[in-house]
Amino acid sequence: MLTKTHLISNGAVIDDTWVLLDDETPLGDTPAIISLDRLKAEADALRLRNAKLGVVIRTNTLGKTKLGEDVRELTPYLDMLSTIAIDFPVYRNGRGYSDARILREEMGFEGELRAIGEVLFDQWSFMARCGFNTFEIDASIPVETFKEALNELSEAYQPAVDNQRGVLWRRHGL
Amino acid sequence: MYRYDEFDHKIVTDRVSQFRGQVNRRISGELSEDAFKPLRLMNGVYLQLHAYMLRVAIPYGTVSSKQMRMLAHIARKYDRGYGHFTTRQNIQYNWPALDRIPDLLEELASEEMHAIQTSGNCIRNVTADQYAGAIADEIEDPRIISEIIRQWSTFHPEFSYLPRKFKIAVTGHENDRAAIKLHDIGIVIVRNDKGETGYEVHVGGGQGRSPFIAKKITNFVPAEKLLAYLEAVMRVYNMLGRRDNSYKARIKILVHETGETEMRRLVDEEFERIDASQMLSLPEAELDRISAYFAPPNYENLPAQSEAFEAAKGSNAEFNHWVKTNLVPHKTPGYGIVNISLKPIGGIPGDATDVQMDVIADLAERYALDEVRVTHEQNLVLPHVKLDEAKEVYDILCAHDLATPNIGLISDSIACPGLDYCNLANARSIPLAQEISTHFADLDKQYDIGELKIKISGCINACGHHHVGHIGILGVDKKGTEFYQISLGGSADEQASLGDITGQAFTEDKVVDAVDTIVETYLNLRQPEERFLDTYRRVGMSPFKEQLYAD
Repeated sequence: MLTKTHLISNGAVIDDTWVLLDDETPLGDTPAIISLDRLKAEADALRLRNAKLGVVIRTNTLGKTKLGEDVRELTPYLDMLSTIAIDFPVYRNGRGYSDARILREEMGFEGELRAIGEVLFDQWSFMARCGFNTFEIDASIPVETFKEALNELSEAYQPAVDNQRGVLWRRHGL
Repeated sequence: MYRYDEFDHKIVTDRVSQFRGQVNRRISGELSEDAFKPLRLMNGVYLQLHAYMLRVAIPYGTVSSKQMRMLAHIARKYDRGYGHFTTRQNIQYNWPALDRIPDLLEELASEEMHAIQTSGNCIRNVTADQYAGAIADEIEDPRIISEIIRQWSTFHPEFSYLPRKFKIAVTGHENDRAAIKLHDIGIVIVRNDKGETGYEVHVGGGQGRSPFIAKKITNFVPAEKLLAYLEAVMRVYNMLGRRDNSYKARIKILVHETGETEMRRLVDEEFERIDASQMLSLPEAELDRISAYFAPPNYENLPAQSEAFEAAKGSNAEFNHWVKTNLVPHKTPGYGIVNISLKPIGGIPGDATDVQMDVIADLAERYALDEVRVTHEQNLVLPHVKLDEAKEVYDILCAHDLATPNIGLISDSIACPGLDYCNLANARSIPLAQEISTHFADLDKQYDIGELKIKISGCINACGHHHVGHIGILGVDKKGTEFYQISLGGSADEQASLGDITGQAFTEDKVVDAVDTIVETYLNLRQPEERFLDTYRRVGMSPFKEQLYAD
């Protein structure tokens, strides 16, 4: 991405202590985010490592598949992962919303879920509802704007990951 | 009819404020047209050939008289005095100024209407049988489950950026007037052996460049599990639907490429997980609450036969004709369902002026228990009219050019906006519809021909449903000249079928002649009681082809 970004996590700007590594760079002792392929290939060695580990899930990986990587492949490795970054190659590609819900609701992942790529104003609240808690966004956007965006729509009809029960249920005290 | 509660109001008014902010950011230049596009598209605002176009949602095609008056008011105040009813049971305005759209939406919201999800790659307005609640032998009013689906799908956080747009239709009657097999999801309300009501789900129908009839993937889902089932279908689609090519991105392509059996397995697997969580189990109290809004209105106790009605038919041949084509039997004795044709001879299919909309609103209030319906064939319906008063209604309709007696006949065609408005079109559709309806203006001729549905699209996107026209007409562009391809034998009902192309396309000046030849061929070949479609299905393409390409 060309523009400078910053990281908003659980409603505050945080320092990004993670580095996103390509598959060739050796892993050091600092928190690192690696590809799914590398995670699968080096899992045994990575289990012995003494620093936090993250993985990035790519949608629409060029030349590999027309869909993208499958988050369900992370099942055997979930206990090793502190963060999972989901890449939105363009805002229109909304596959990552389902990835997030599958990770939270079906697979029970409780670590950081980070939205990266084209992550725009009008998507933040939907992403938050699907279980993302960390957002890599344009650095010129202040945290107040981010919070406003999350509150633009104050009610939701349907349940999601964010503990909102959904109007269809709340009408009846459920 | 459904009425908003405080939650519904809050959701719609929040949206108006949000969109006002987005428009302000666009007008101030903070947002480029590129960045603004996805935002306006989620709110039904399209940039067309000449101006912005706004599409207003009419959920399952039902409006009250007050809402119809608001639609008339908007045509008058924000547009050029008319609106266009669409094949999605919505209404479009072709000339609103962008900076006034937020005010327009605020006025709409005051009458419980909106433009949410009338465009964009999300779950669109849910459509349903226009005779819902009025027709005999209905298993359940399809608007109940449609309203529940409308709410569940509104601002769905997971399904607002799907591979492509997504359309759902519902019918509660064995005669399908909602074209459910041509939808991404089509729902048929059914009753099982135990007498319980549930939902049969069809997936992967659609028109456009690659037309498909939907596949039935489950016979029965009970009401409390339907949202879980739909969420399962949507998740499978959002995960596996193609995003590399927008022409291959609809769920019909996924179903086609995956296969019906595998698709069913994937959906069942996802459904089991969602169902086990019980997150989406619909509370019975909510089903009851929404059902209550669609309880039958207070009909009067009337004899099945109306003397006034019979007398009027006897003394007025034109009224009698109109009754035959435009009035449908109601489930309640002494009532009828009145169809209002928006296809006057030589007119623009689906257009209505502000004055006409006001007249229809008044009629609904005075004579039709306050309801109007929009049909996917771009006409309107007064669902509950007393036979005693049918002649009065007819007279008022006549005075406003709304009583064309042609429902289901050759001049009752569907046409997309075409090259006159749309920047995707290759060819004009509206003028062709006008020419055909003028050519067959003679009513006796139309009655003789009988049921014949012509559907016209100005391009391969098939907004005019040409694939399922008994006669379908598709505008194609060849080296800058408008050509039209003709197909025969399509149908959108419970026996849905896709039309077969006759052969080489026709130039614009030859299309009406070609339609005439097709009609004459049918008239020569038909057996007693056979409709055009029946004859075509019996004799096939060759006799038509012979006549069309004789020289």
